[in-house]
Amino acid sequence: MTAGNAAAPARAPVGKLGEGAFKDKEKPTHIRMSNIEAAKAVADAVRTSLGPKGMDKMIRDDKGNVTITNDGATILQRMKVLHPAARMLVELSKAQDIEAGDGTTTVVVVCGALLEAAKQLLSHSIHPTKISDAFQRAATEAIKVIESMKIEFDLSNKEAMMKACATSLSSKVINTHSVQMSELCSSAVLKVADPEKNSLDLKDIKIVAKVGGTLDDTELVDGLCLDNNAMGTTRRMEKAKVALIQFQLSPPKTDMENQVVINDYSQMDRVLKEERQYTLNLVKAIKKSGANVLLVQKSILRDAISDLAIHYLNKLKIMVIKDIERTDVPFLCKTLGCHPVASADHFTPESLANVDLVEEVAIGGESNCTKFTGIQNAGKTVSILIRASNENLLAEADRSIHDALCVLRCLVKQRALVAGGGAVESELALRLGQRAKEIGGVDGYCLQRYAEAMEVVPYTLAENAALNPIEVVTELRKRHNAGEFNAGINVRKAGVSNMHREDVLQPMLVSTSMINLATETVRSILKIDDIVNVVGRG
Amino acid sequence: MAMNPIQVLRNGAEEEKAETARLSSFVGAIAIGDLVKSTLGPRGMDKILYSPTGQYGNGEPSVQVTNDGATILRSCGVDNPAAKILCELSKVQDDEVGDGTTSVTVFASELLREAERLVELKIHPHTIIRGWKKAVAAARDALLESAIDNQADPEQFKKDLFNIARTTLSSKLLTQHKDFFAKICVDAILKIRDDPKSTLESIQIIKKLGGSLEASFLDEGFLLDKVPGQNQPRRVENARVLLANTAMDTDKIKVFGSRVRTNDIKSLAEIEAAEKEKMKEKVENICKHDMNVFINRQLIYNYPEQLFADHKIMAIEHADFEGIERLALVLGGEIVSTFNSDEKVRIGTCDLIEEVMIGEDKLLRFSGVSQGQACSLVIRGATEQILDEAERAIHDVLCVLYSTIKETKTVYGGGCSEALMAQAVQLLVEKSEGKEQHAVQSFATALRQLPTIMADNAGLDSADLIAKLRAEHAKGNKCAGLDLYNGCVASMDDLKVTESFKVKRQVLLSGHEGAEMIMRVDDILKSAPRQRAPDRCM
Repeated sequence: MTAGNAAAPARAPVGKLGEGAFKDKEKPTHIRMSNIEAAKAVADAVRTSLGPKGMDKMIRDDKGNVTITNDGATILQRMKVLHPAARMLVELSKAQDIEAGDGTTTVVVVCGALLEAAKQLLSHSIHPTKISDAFQRAATEAIKVIESMKIEFDLSNKEAMMKACATSLSSKVINTHSVQMSELCSSAVLKVADPEKNSLDLKDIKIVAKVGGTLDDTELVDGLCLDNNAMGTTRRMEKAKVALIQFQLSPPKTDMENQVVINDYSQMDRVLKEERQYTLNLVKAIKKSGANVLLVQKSILRDAISDLAIHYLNKLKIMVIKDIERTDVPFLCKTLGCHPVASADHFTPESLANVDLVEEVAIGGESNCTKFTGIQNAGKTVSILIRASNENLLAEADRSIHDALCVLRCLVKQRALVAGGGAVESELALRLGQRAKEIGGVDGYCLQRYAEAMEVVPYTLAENAALNPIEVVTELRKRHNAGEFNAGINVRKAGVSNMHREDVLQPMLVSTSMINLATETVRSILKIDDIVNVVGRG
Repeated sequence: MAMNPIQVLRNGAEEEKAETARLSSFVGAIAIGDLVKSTLGPRGMDKILYSPTGQYGNGEPSVQVTNDGATILRSCGVDNPAAKILCELSKVQDDEVGDGTTSVTVFASELLREAERLVELKIHPHTIIRGWKKAVAAARDALLESAIDNQADPEQFKKDLFNIARTTLSSKLLTQHKDFFAKICVDAILKIRDDPKSTLESIQIIKKLGGSLEASFLDEGFLLDKVPGQNQPRRVENARVLLANTAMDTDKIKVFGSRVRTNDIKSLAEIEAAEKEKMKEKVENICKHDMNVFINRQLIYNYPEQLFADHKIMAIEHADFEGIERLALVLGGEIVSTFNSDEKVRIGTCDLIEEVMIGEDKLLRFSGVSQGQACSLVIRGATEQILDEAERAIHDVLCVLYSTIKETKTVYGGGCSEALMAQAVQLLVEKSEGKEQHAVQSFATALRQLPTIMADNAGLDSADLIAKLRAEHAKGNKCAGLDLYNGCVASMDDLKVTESFKVKRQVLLSGHEGAEMIMRVDDILKSAPRQRAPDRCM
């Protein structure tokens, strides 16, 4: 930076222009510092929610709705951050959410610590690109260290999956139910995962959340669980034949605007009669096809199903479920093995699905849900029905289960685990510190700071668990130095112990993606030297 | 008369004359140069483009991180006329060759910085312009002479392309993976090289969130981000594709207020049935064509979807405009909107259409397309910003490579060509007589500013490096350039830093032209102002 001032002896004195134009060297430094400060403020905001003993945040939006969560990505998303650099941290946690699904708080906290380190390095007048390169190198080294710590895993090992789930859930509100939830999530994933492929489509797991009951009532439905009530009186159907229809059971409506002109009383009578006749014909066509459970797709153009049609269907003992979203149709077809029917004259035997039992389950409150069990030639999908006593808890449980499923998805993608509880970060601090001494020079100096920044995770974990952070971190250093690379903070026992033996495990992908993404964000913040306001278009 | 100034211009209109006009041009142009110059070179810094109203006008503040000169200049509103000319320059450069958008702006502004000094020395602008004219001719000759043409040797030419791609990428976000992306881009460009029908359009760039940048790949064939309808074939061999842009709900009568008037429901139902029949007829008409895949730009409703399914035809709805145009191009089909005429419809063909998984999403791949050169480049990345920036970088590279296969000459990068041209101009200085000498000298200085800024941005001692570089070139070492990673002067031939001749020439010529145009200005007339948004750039 300083070298630049001596450059270009031939350059004209620009003093006169300077005032109106552009401040040459001051601005970049200033911008960089303000970016770092803003980003750090975001990191500090979520710091206290890290770890199993982390605190929750209550977020109130402008409409007065309240969310209670300790999920980093959710907090940041709801915070409505304005500062551009701070927004990059929001993006960071979102990226971690997409990539790994868990560790969204950790990634932001680590990023904050790295920025603090970068700030100190900048104050030693090290050029930002140098720091940026050194950090990239540090990240590469860090990934190597993490890989050396990994514990192999394969999909037959349900126990290990449950452990990883339990670790993820331990920091959530529902941690008292972590055993039950982990069992549930693991079974769900094992059911839909294709062991041959390294991918898992979370869309194959349908989550239905319903207020009422307690978390204990949360269950895995082998088959299908729909959030919709049955209409009318038929609420239970054994040996069901399910049809999914995409046409409407209501008075006819043309695509062109229409108008029925009525001149006298007798005509009115006729119109009513014809309407009944029309509906009855449709219903009869359905009955003829043999279907006794009818799923009706939602329609925006007109009533999907009229009361009259429901009445007729009830008389014929056909169970009706309406308001099926069009986006859910592929999932339903996959699950039930049925074909959607777009017109009343299109019913074929193979478009129906055979299900042993379709039943509406009363679950308290006004709204019920419908379960389909014993589906013949069912697809590889499952449903999870979450119950909780209030809206907030329910929403948090939903997020937590999503996180747990994401953790499992990571395991399917990359089948390796590492020890949790700050063990990885402590080991990184130690090993990168050693490496820094081998390298030396500016790179080594930056690496040293990078290594120190890693300790923010165990430090914060201890702090949030009301332990003495200095004691814990130093104890960790000692253990790691002695070669116990799985040593981490045991929040339950309030001390340091071997995390592998304590079954606190997390997918390796969570840690590696955390390092990669946090480093990438720090590097791009360091590389920014100006903020340009875009003139609004349109 | 002194009491009553005669008003020549309309109220509100302004005139700036001679020195004032020139000064305001200089200030504006230099400010623009200073704005973007820190993004120059492989170690250049990034800018945040912050839009409080959002890029897409949805009111959400959006943040974009970039170091692409054209993008920055396009986004910041500029009011100063000279500054506008520079923004135009970078835009033209972007359209013309795709890269060097920052260089051209910086070069023009450096020329003007020099010119300002000369004007202060009471040298007439026209003298300066004359001097520059001579200088630019000398520089161009020197550049042409140093250019290497490897067209005859395909192996070497491929290496050249690879090196150019690497050089271009090294100043972008993708610099960490430059070898990887350089290979992808070169492969893509070589595919379309031999085919006169192909343009850059045939290379399709698809962005998919998730995964890391290294997971990006080049796919043979064409990818479409769509899925076929329910129960339709998922895989079609020897596909014959009919491309259409037609309403698949109903053919509406487009007269305003047209409506159906009936007396009873029965006739209403008949009309509805008639509408349906019409749709069926349309589908039948479509199916009469010798085809097995139907791709429509508009929605396909449930009913026709099912009809297509019955015909075992793959029907894809809602392909976006760009997608379908491109499809028409690569499949060699035409887009039709009526089907009942007997005219022969040109149908697109390809060997195989199948579903592929990219990340979590399913896409359709058209392989073995009739225009065999089409290919798709899939970019993966963790955040939207990374994807956008990567796309811009790849676009730049493809543009440069495309212009290189047209104009096969290459030159050395890393400040080498600039130093070489400066050297040639320097030789001219002694030969020029009169005041022009100063102008020629200033041209050489401005050329040398480019490597100086690159070195400054990398945090190196530019004064020292440029002096060394100058000495090397004076000695006749024609491939000496800056090695910004190790901070020394090195042979660009060894480092394989190559750039496209066309890009370099364009930078030189249009930078000079822009500067000359601004120099010629001695009067700025502002017409009476209308309401405009406040300028937030400076």
